[in-house]
Amino acid sequence: MSPISLIARKESGELLKSGRGLAWLLALSVILSVLSLLLVSNTELSLLDNAQVVYMVMGTITALGALLAVVLGSDAIAGEKERGSLVPLLLAPLSTSDIVLGKMGGQVVAWGVTYLLSLPYLWAVGSSGQNLFEAIAYLALLGMPVVLGFGFYALGLSARFGSVRAALITALITLMLLASPLLLGPGLRQSAIGKVFDAVNPFSAAVNSFDSVVIDSQPLSMQLGRFLVTLIWLVMTLWFARRSVKIAEI
Amino acid sequence: MKGITLCLGACLLLIGSGAAWAAERLEITLVADKTNPPSPQMGDHMKFVSVIRNNSTVAAQGVVAWISLIQMDPGHEQPLDLEDWSAHKAVTRTSMAPGEQITVEWPMRLIQAGDYRVVISAVERSTPHIVTSPFIDFHIKRKPVVESQRILPIAIGVPLILGMLTLWRIRKRA
Repeated sequence: MSPISLIARKESGELLKSGRGLAWLLALSVILSVLSLLLVSNTELSLLDNAQVVYMVMGTITALGALLAVVLGSDAIAGEKERGSLVPLLLAPLSTSDIVLGKMGGQVVAWGVTYLLSLPYLWAVGSSGQNLFEAIAYLALLGMPVVLGFGFYALGLSARFGSVRAALITALITLMLLASPLLLGPGLRQSAIGKVFDAVNPFSAAVNSFDSVVIDSQPLSMQLGRFLVTLIWLVMTLWFARRSVKIAEI
Repeated sequence: MKGITLCLGACLLLIGSGAAWAAERLEITLVADKTNPPSPQMGDHMKFVSVIRNNSTVAAQGVVAWISLIQMDPGHEQPLDLEDWSAHKAVTRTSMAPGEQITVEWPMRLIQAGDYRVVISAVERSTPHIVTSPFIDFHIKRKPVVESQRILPIAIGVPLILGMLTLWRIRKRA
């Protein structure tokens, strides 16, 4: 088994087999359940209201996935350091990429589980509405680079700060800033600053794409630019994580 | 007597202008497409077909025709923004020759339940008033988009399963 797989297996095992990891997943499901139950009382939604609900659930899932990635990423290097297991890891015959990608393997599993967990909820709230299949596909397509990007970013901070708390706070502040489009509707982001922020923010790119596909039924060709923004975010954060772990090695 | 004569004259003038109004240069017909569902519900697609004809002997310039949808539910009467219902909201013609007619299809997706009235209106550059088609009234049946019997099992079942799994895992470790 390759070193990347070994590290990824350990990381994902901590999430899926430990009581703590399962408790996180339980918390995620409770949030999605509360969100869904709030809708039960309102049976007079129009088709677009329903699409709005699916869009809202998609945004929430992406935010929860990013939150989980930030928590896991912040612990990835600094946690090892605080537990005294970083030195053996750095002394092992592994390249920086092996460590980063192995650690991220656990995050890929975390996102995969979050995504799978969200599917029944998306089906429950959206199967009588419109564009459910597109919602599921676009959540995977744009949600994944955004969420994993946050994981890489938190991992990089974790390596640079050497402190879980400092990395977690910084990553959470960044997440809150970038995820603000979830709270501020498009109408509130029409200023010049808002437009620039929307154009470069990967989270905006993802939620705008969800809006465009699920509510406005717009085609893939209109989402390519937004998809590119999320990919650039992923590549930049991967570079940041690798560089930061390299510095930590030194 | 003079007053009555004046009154009659005024009435004739009004009737005359009404007749002129009725003899529009443009004429619009509107029918529901035969393929429309007999009992439409939310999510269905409907189509209306109108024929706009220039009845006059001169060309009509700058013709614009558009569709309007009005909600007619008692207490909720209001014109609707068609943005979400249809991408095909208007047609324009720079000129329509005498006797020329154009057939326009107006597709729409039914977004919300209720009673509705659809009408096509048109104007041309040289006529100072609007021309409208006959109305078509229709009812859209409600389709439940959030069903409690679908959400409840998921909203309760998923956390329940995960909670049991977590407890089992914690007890096993202990």
